[in-house]
Amino acid sequence: MTSCGHITEYKSKYGTNQFRIIHAYFIAASSDNARRRKGKSGVCHTCRFPSFRLHACLYCVYFGCYTTKHIHEHAFSKNHNLAADMTYGTIFCFECGDYVYDKELESIAQIQNEKAAKSLGLKSYNFIAWEPTEVEVEILRQNPKRRKVENKSTIGLRGLINLGNTCFMNCIVQSLIHTPVLRDFFLADKHNCQMTSVEAQQCLVCEMARLFQEFYSGNRTPHIPYRLLHLVWTNARHLAGYEQQDAHEFLIAALDVLHRHCKGYSDNKCLSINKFFTGRNGMTSGNPHHCNCIIDQIFTGGLQSDVTCQECNNVSTTIDPIWDISLDLGPGAPIPNALLNVNNSSSSPSSGFSNSPGTYEPTSLLDCLKRFTKPEHLGSSAKIKCSTCHSYQESTKQLTMKKLPIVACFHLKRFEHSTGLHKKISTFVSFPEELDMTPFMSSSRNNTNGYRNQIVQESAKGLSCDNKYSLFAVVNHMGTIECGHYTCFIRQHKDQWFKCDDHLITKATLNEVLKSEGYLLFYHKQILEYQQ
Amino acid sequence: MADDIKRKDAQMRATINQKLVETGERDRLKDLLRTRLIECGWRDQLKQHCKEVVKQKGLEHITVDDLVAEITPKGRALVPDNVKKELLQRIRTFLAQQADN
Ligand SMILES: [Zn+2]
Ligand SMILES: [Zn+2]
Ligand SMILES: [Zn+2]
Ligand SMILES: [Zn+2]
Ligand SMILES: [Zn+2]
Ligand SMILES: [Zn+2]
Repeated sequence: MTSCGHITEYKSKYGTNQFRIIHAYFIAASSDNARRRKGKSGVCHTCRFPSFRLHACLYCVYFGCYTTKHIHEHAFSKNHNLAADMTYGTIFCFECGDYVYDKELESIAQIQNEKAAKSLGLKSYNFIAWEPTEVEVEILRQNPKRRKVENKSTIGLRGLINLGNTCFMNCIVQSLIHTPVLRDFFLADKHNCQMTSVEAQQCLVCEMARLFQEFYSGNRTPHIPYRLLHLVWTNARHLAGYEQQDAHEFLIAALDVLHRHCKGYSDNKCLSINKFFTGRNGMTSGNPHHCNCIIDQIFTGGLQSDVTCQECNNVSTTIDPIWDISLDLGPGAPIPNALLNVNNSSSSPSSGFSNSPGTYEPTSLLDCLKRFTKPEHLGSSAKIKCSTCHSYQESTKQLTMKKLPIVACFHLKRFEHSTGLHKKISTFVSFPEELDMTPFMSSSRNNTNGYRNQIVQESAKGLSCDNKYSLFAVVNHMGTIECGHYTCFIRQHKDQWFKCDDHLITKATLNEVLKSEGYLLFYHKQILEYQQ
Repeated sequence: MADDIKRKDAQMRATINQKLVETGERDRLKDLLRTRLIECGWRDQLKQHCKEVVKQKGLEHITVDDLVAEITPKGRALVPDNVKKELLQRIRTFLAQQADN
């Protein structure tokens, strides 16, 4: 497919207007009117069928099938040697016997395609295939060594030395290193450090970038993460020391530091997400957490909380950014302060207040999520000030997912510290390889779906990949609360599992993963949306 | 008799196609399909395959029609089942809505 002299000749004689009109009305229709016209007249002028490969003559008003060669017959009998494919807008030259390029016609088509896509709110137009820039071409030229990642290749797998009870850190590092979108970010060298060169020594994001290089260097000997540990100690002082720490606490601290360092803030210069957990009194909906750093792009979801006043049925809705979902395992355990989201007030979160009534012990992740999103009656001991009644009232609260994160991290609360005594819940909680979050979305709560037919709606939902997730990492804790050890399973490629036990990496099966006592479960979205 | 069925079939196709075009649903389906195929790596795989075919035959000796004929079987086979199912369901839903109106 090259450019040809026939097109140049045609343009000098007739200009581009005929193509522009055909394209605007019969190829990329951008109004209801144009679409109606396109639908009515999109048939072959010879056989009257709506063929899938209709072509429009560029010399006269004639549409003809390509497959049954009606357009060819027309071209040769009339000596009209150029026609536009009515599906894609490409030009066929009958003299050359092939499709041909023309920059000018292509740019007309491009503009009209965009207009048509916008008129229907289509997304795939935002997709731009990757083409190397000049700088990248130069880098590729200077570094001729290539490594092809195939299905069998184990590149990216590397053990981590335990530096004295640091298995809690190692398993989080392994999970982050194997988070697909995060890996793409770092391997594409996208961290553009905002810190001064002196400060950058302290940048945890820069350290992550170095870690990715270490993991993908091809070196098989276990890596010693002393530098990372040092950075964690200086940036999250509550985790310092050679004691066993909670892997979940470490994950949240790591995400928080990474998020701050992405913006170029060390320590306390920036509003950290913790503020939203502790200092949100009086804050209403429309949280100012609009961070666009890679951590927030990947991990931040929106949790909607609807509090309905039992007296007047007034619903007050708030949406909060969350990095993970903590799920209760015990019967009626108190919900974390983070989730006690109320629109008033001075009242500190009351105790004995759970996100599920009764003595129900979930045995699966779905159970946990059902419980998490179940409307819950807040008793008389937990009255909330209603903004309509202007007084404290009993109410019902429901949590749902307003916005799904790219990576969903579920924290099964196996450790209980709340009641004064510390204990671990070792119940087996099953979790699926593929998870559909649709039932836990805020939109499912409102049931405002356009489809009228219930059955169609149900099955269409089940098949859509929009809210589906795949499991890619599981962190496990073995032993007791006093004496335990963390390991993790991580996924490579589409379905190969490995167990990471500090410096040891061994092959694992999906079955082993699903049978394990999960503590943190990492899922990634199957489908990514393009930004409009 | 068989001809009659054939003609009715063609008539039905024409009507459905017209409805799909008029409502913009055809473009929406195309958009969905495009997105899904990009997401699952189909596009990259096919592109690679096209490059190989062109290299093998020589750029001067191949037309778009040749290339299309060469890659179509592989292209069809590589479309994931869940993508086909999702699309089919969307079309069914659309037709059900049209029938209601
Ligand atoms: Zn025809
Ligand atoms: Zn003509
Ligand atoms: Zn030509
Ligand atoms: Zn940095
Ligand atoms: Zn951020
Ligand atoms: Zn009220």
